[in-house]
This record gives sequence, C-alpha cells and structure tokens, in this order.
Amino acid sequence: MALLEVRGLVKRFGGLVAVNDVDLDVEAGEIRGIIGPNGAGKTTLFNLISGALKPTSGTIKFDGKIISGKKPSHIARAGLVRTFQRNAMFPTYSVLDNVMLARHTRINENLFKAVLGTDRKDEERNLRRAREIIEFLDLSEFADELAQNLSHGHQRILGIANALAVEPKLIMLDEPVAGMNPTETAMVTDHLRRLRDEWNMTVILVEHDMRTVMETCDYISVLNFGEKLMEGDPGQVSRDPRVIEAYLGSEEIDL
Amino acid sequence: MFVNWKTWLFLIAVLAVAGAAPFMVRAYSTEVLILFMINLILVCSYRIPTMTGDWSLSHVVMMGVGAYATALLSKWWDLSILLTVPLSAVVAAVVGLILVTPLIRTKGFGFFIASFALGEFVRLTWVKFRDPFGGPRGMIGIPSGELGGIDFFEPVPYYFFVLVFVFFSLLVMYRIDRSRIGRTFKAIYTDAELAESVGIDVPHYRALAFATGAFFAGIAGSLLAHRLGAVDPKNFDVTTMVYLIIWIVVGGTSTFWGPIFGLTVMTFVFEWSRPLLEWRPLLFGGILIFFLVFLPGGLESLFGKLRERFFTRKPLGKGSAGSSGT
Amino acid sequence: MDLPTLIQTIANSVVAGSVYAIIAVGLAMAFGVMKMANFAHGEFFMAGAYVVYVFYALLGWPFPAAVLMAIPIVGAMGVATERFIFRPTRDNVMAGFMATAGLAFILQVLVGQTWGVGLMRSVPTPYMGAMDIFGAKIGWQRVLVLPSAVVMLSALWFFLYRVKAGKALRACAQDPETARLQGIRIGRMTMLAMAISGASAGLAGALMAPIHPVTPYMGHGVILTAFIIVVMGGMESIAGAVLAAVLLGFVHTFVTTLFDAVTAQMVGVAIMALVLIVRPQGLLGRVKA
Repeated sequence: MALLEVRGLVKRFGGLVAVNDVDLDVEAGEIRGIIGPNGAGKTTLFNLISGALKPTSGTIKFDGKIISGKKPSHIARAGLVRTFQRNAMFPTYSVLDNVMLARHTRINENLFKAVLGTDRKDEERNLRRAREIIEFLDLSEFADELAQNLSHGHQRILGIANALAVEPKLIMLDEPVAGMNPTETAMVTDHLRRLRDEWNMTVILVEHDMRTVMETCDYISVLNFGEKLMEGDPGQVSRDPRVIEAYLGSEEIDL
Repeated sequence: MFVNWKTWLFLIAVLAVAGAAPFMVRAYSTEVLILFMINLILVCSYRIPTMTGDWSLSHVVMMGVGAYATALLSKWWDLSILLTVPLSAVVAAVVGLILVTPLIRTKGFGFFIASFALGEFVRLTWVKFRDPFGGPRGMIGIPSGELGGIDFFEPVPYYFFVLVFVFFSLLVMYRIDRSRIGRTFKAIYTDAELAESVGIDVPHYRALAFATGAFFAGIAGSLLAHRLGAVDPKNFDVTTMVYLIIWIVVGGTSTFWGPIFGLTVMTFVFEWSRPLLEWRPLLFGGILIFFLVFLPGGLESLFGKLRERFFTRKPLGKGSAGSSGT
Repeated sequence: MDLPTLIQTIANSVVAGSVYAIIAVGLAMAFGVMKMANFAHGEFFMAGAYVVYVFYALLGWPFPAAVLMAIPIVGAMGVATERFIFRPTRDNVMAGFMATAGLAFILQVLVGQTWGVGLMRSVPTPYMGAMDIFGAKIGWQRVLVLPSAVVMLSALWFFLYRVKAGKALRACAQDPETARLQGIRIGRMTMLAMAISGASAGLAGALMAPIHPVTPYMGHGVILTAFIIVVMGGMESIAGAVLAAVLLGFVHTFVTTLFDAVTAQMVGVAIMALVLIVRPQGLLGRVKA
C-alpha cells in the first residue's frame, strides 16, 4: 500500500476545474517530484493534499487513513507536513525556539502541567531533538539567533526545520529552492537525499527548477491543465514528447 | 517556583508593601485598593485571549457572569465564599466556551463585533429576566462572606482575602504566559497558517485562551459581587468594556506586565480626574485615541524605545533558549 | 394579532427596516472601502438627531431644512474621523476601530454637557395626523421615513454605479492596490466613504428625532443593531446590509410588539449567531480565501 494514495481527485472553483481526476501513489521512502507548466494545477494539488483546500470529489489516503477534507492541523498531526513558499517562521523567536514551538504535536501538553512546570523532562527531550534537526540542516551556528535576523536563504531552511520538527512521515516542499543560488540549492537537495536515506522520510517536491527535480527525484509526476500527463523516472520524463510539448508552450525548458 | 532570586526579592517587597498598605491609609483608600486588585485580575485575564489575537468585546460580561453566578449561588445555597469564587469562575469559563463556539469562525473585526453582540445577549438576559436575575435593577443581598470567624464586611480583612486571590491568579496567569501554551497562543497570533501546518489545532487553542480568560474574569466578578453586596447589569456594559480596553491599550500587551502598568496609571488618572465630573469620559476617550494613534504599543513600548536608546549593548544571538521573544 | 395591529406592525417594520438600512449602509460602505469600522456610528446617528433638535426645535427652522442640515454636518464629522483617526491608524485597523470607541465617549460628553443629559429632549412632531390604512393609524412622521430611505438608497446606487467618483469608490473596495495603480487617490476615496457613512447615519438620526427620544446615549441601541446587520449581511456588502436591515427591521418590530424590546434585541443577536455558524461570510458576503 502506498504511503500516499490519491484517487480521482477533482477540484472545481466555480466553473474552473483546477484539478481533474488525478490519481497519485507515492511510496514510502521516495523522493517524488511534481512538475508542470504554470497553471497546471500543482499548487492546487499541493493544497488539496495538505488540507488547505477541500476536494470537490475524490479521496486522499495517507498511511491508510483518509485525510481528504480534514483540517491542516489534523493532517500535520497524522504525519504529513508541508512547507510554504513564503517565509514560514516565527520572526521574533530564535531558530531553536522556532523548532521547539513547531514540535508542538510531539509534546504531551496540557494547561495544568504547563502552569506547574512539571513538563521539564519533556522539554529536555524536545530540546535534544530540536538541536538534532537544526544540526542536520546546518543551522547550528544560528540556533540562538532571532529568526528575523537570518538571511533569506537560511529563513527558507528554517521553514523546512519547522516542518521537520513535527517528525513527519512525509514532507511536501513547495518550491524549496526558488530564488536560491546554486550553492544553496545543492545544499538543500543534499539534505533532501539525506532525509530519504538517513531519516527514512518520504519527500514530495513541487518545483520549477528542472535540474533540481531531475537530479533529486526518484520518480516524477507531470501535470498539465489539471490532469496527470505522465509519470516516470527522470530519464523517461525528460525524453517524453508530451512533456516536452507541454513545456514548449511556456518559457521554462532546460531539461 | 522556577524564578530566580531577584524576582523572589521583588515579589516579597511587593507583598510587603501590599500587606502594609491597608494599615497606612484611610478606609476609603482601602476600598479603592480592593477594587484596584479586582481590576488587576480582570485586566490580566483579558490579555490571555488577546495573546491569540482575539480581541473580544464580551470580556466584561464574563466578569458579570462570575458576579451573577456568585449572587445566585449565595441566594440559593448559602455557600461559603471559598466555594462561590471558584465555582463562579468555572461558570464563567463554561459560558465563555459556549460563547466562543460561534465566534471561532470569525477573526479580527468580525470577532470583535460578534463578541460584542453575543456579550450583549448575555447581558440582556440579566436585564430581561427579573427571575432569577433581578432584571434592570440587578440583585442585592449578596453576603460579604466570612472565613474562620473573620467577617469580610470590613474592608481590611477582605483586602487580604482578595490579595491572596490576586497573588495566585496573577501567578497562574504569569506561568501560562511563560509556558509553552503561552508560546503556542502567541504563535497563533504571529502566523496562524504556519501554526496549523505544524499541527497546532488553532480553533482549540483560541477557545482555550478565551475560556481561560473568562475563568479569571469570573474570579474578578465574584470578588466584586461579594464586595458590593449587589450586582447591576449596568456594571458590565460596553462602557466598562471600553475602560478595560483603555487600560490595556495604555499599558500595552506584548508583555505580561503591560496591562498591569496601564491599569495602575489609569487608576491614578481616574482618581485625580474626579474634579472633572461629567467631563471625565471625554478625557478617557481622548486618551484612548491618543494612544492608539501615537503609541499603539502602549507605555511598555515607550520603555522599550527608551531602553534601546540608553542601553544599546544588546549582543546579537545571545538570547537563551526559552526566553527569547516575548 | 388582529388586522389593524398587524397592519400597524408591518408598517412599523417597514419604517424600522428603512432606518436600519440607511444606518447600516453607511457602516458597510466604510468597512468595505478601507476596512474602517466606526464604533461611533451610533453617535453619528445621535448627532443627526441633535442637529434637528437644534435647528428645528430650538431655532425654529422648517423641519426638512433641519433634516438636510444633518447631512453635511455629520458628513463632515465622518470626514474628520477619517482624517484624524482612521488615516493615522490605517496599518492597524483594529486600533482605528477601538479609537472610535473613544470618539463615542467624547461625542456623548460634548453633546450631554451642551444640551443636557437626563431629560429626554423631545422634538415636536412637525407632521401631525396619521395615515389610515385598513384601520391602522400610522403617523405621517413615520411614513416619511420610507420614501426618504428609498431616495437615499437610490441616490447612493446611482452614485456608485453611474458617477465616476462612485465607481472609483467601488473599485477601491474591491481591490485597493489595482485602484491605486489606476491613479485613484485612496485618500480621497476613504474621505468620501466616511463622508457618506457619516451623512447617512446623520440623516437617519435626523428623521428619527421626532419619533425617538433624543438623548446623548441614544446611539447605544443603534450600534449593536447596526453591527448585527453588517455581520449578517456580509461585512462589506452594501446590498447585504440592505437585505439584512429589512429582515431585522421586521424581526425586531414583530418581536417587540409581541414581547418587548429587550427580547427583540436578543432575538436579533441569536439570528446573527445562527448566520455565523451556518454561513460565516454573511448572507451576501464573499468567502474569504
């Protein structure tokens, strides 16, 4: 059984069909890319899976349980998290505090314990895990720095750290390397591979940067006009005439 | 608990002053101090729902719920004051939870306005139903309470009773502010979408903040009812609510101490402006407008700016985990 | 309920709905254009009533002239509010809203200290006599309200859809950024919106002066009703406000006749709560993304 199963997913906005009968199966331990020209429905699909939008019809199953139509916080607690294209951090907190805060779901919390302060042990464990995540993403030197003081690139990585804090089984990244220089991009893709290899995490990547997608992903799904055009490994996708044609209509090329 | 020795010293000093106060001033001033302390609980309790960004206009009604609950509990069952206060607080929290349910689908303005309407609904039930709420005239005959033979009709003994409640209420509210739950509240205010994406059930926490604020407002209301011996629906109308907002705007809400500071300053202003008679609300209206236009962060933001001017030796990156951010 | 009472109540409902519509439309417009919510809107209503009190009852001007005076006077108050409260706080709309609560205090005190508190000023009825429909008597004073509302709303519609400045105002409400790019001066638009907002509240108050007891605190009841209408109609929808105003006018009047005014307020709030649960964007509001 696939970790993420999407069946017959449809999303209509009034008269516009943004996602039209899409099926998707993402296996555990994959790095899956989702690509397509502008307006192909990638973002809508992304938002449907993460719970930001409710499907018009169709189902989404994660880890065997239905998540379509559920609230984003519920889906996150089930182990599927997303990152944002925008800065997704709490600006006035330090990097460490950001990750600690994002570990919310991993903490057994209630008002009385918080007031009495008996959650000391929990706090220590969370601190350790938070530091591990920060170290994994090479942010250790900024651990105590306020998030708003970080460079733009590091803020994007903090967004990923916040998502990882939830200890998800699947992380969906929304254009993680947009606006990054080659060095930063290489760092991020390296981390993504290590997430798969060392942390057994499944990754879904929605991205425009073709090189990143081809180099990083195990398998790629291509969308166009809200429908799934084809799926395959990077080699197959880059050679498929339908994909080339879809992209020839827009400016993005460089397969 | 879990604070350093400097804070302990400060607390002891404050308590010492508070303890000596009633013996050093006239009886009238002791009454003023009792009212001040009740308002302290009220103003700190209002800060809790604002931590998630929910500015409600029904908070003073929650205090009224506590007051009316006390009136009814005393009338029907003649309970000890040690029971009426916490029970009234629980009633207020429950009513708060009921009220926040339709409100949870709104935020910002919609929340402000709808909370006003729902609060009025509750207040109007007191006005409409003479039985059991006493209608427009309210209820009288609430006992001032007694404990171990000491009658709280006298201001001084009641002062100490209230002081104990204030101490513990503020302590709990302070701990909430400093705790992870407090940080979750603030995270929701900062970026609710991000909070949702990391698994924070935003509506749940907003409701929790609202009900907790209502709980402590209920304590304040109960203590007030025992002191006044009566409840009047006019005590909990929109005018009182605007005063509460003035205190909190003047003080600022980014730290726990802001509202306390605002209340203190405005209490002095209130007492000193007595000669103005009916012109007083105009002064207060003007102060509210002034602060919102020129100093929306309140007086505590002014101190922040002064501190920056004179103490700019803040090294970068030296905040310790758990204490950075406010 | 017998027929004359029913007719009476329906007639009163129409009057109430008309007044509510005039009041609520101003609030919805200011909110729609620049998220300006005016807590002192009830006090603007009160100011309109006092304008009529001063010009008609004290100075002896003809009633229609006194009513017409309310429009520019309270309209100017709206402009001043925009300039001195809403504009400096435009980055923080909640702050602007709360500041107008302070304005409400100020207006109440100013009016109360100038013309006295406590005793309700009654403005003598300019139009005595009543209209007779199927046995129900409806004072001409009240009858006047409906055509006034119709004229005002029609004028507003005409302005918003046929006059350049009004169309610019609508553009602002829908998309301020694009409007600015098209060269529309936002500052002018917000002033205009608040002028209309104030003027309409003032007009409503002026029309009600002979009917409603005139006190510095007469705004209190109005603001709650106005907010309920705006929430029910959908915060920025003017059409929604009119629809909700008429509905609420009927509900309030019938419940007041059958029970009492307090119950009527409570029923109004209950309906609002219901709308919030079932359709949070209001009857005609847009769904927030």
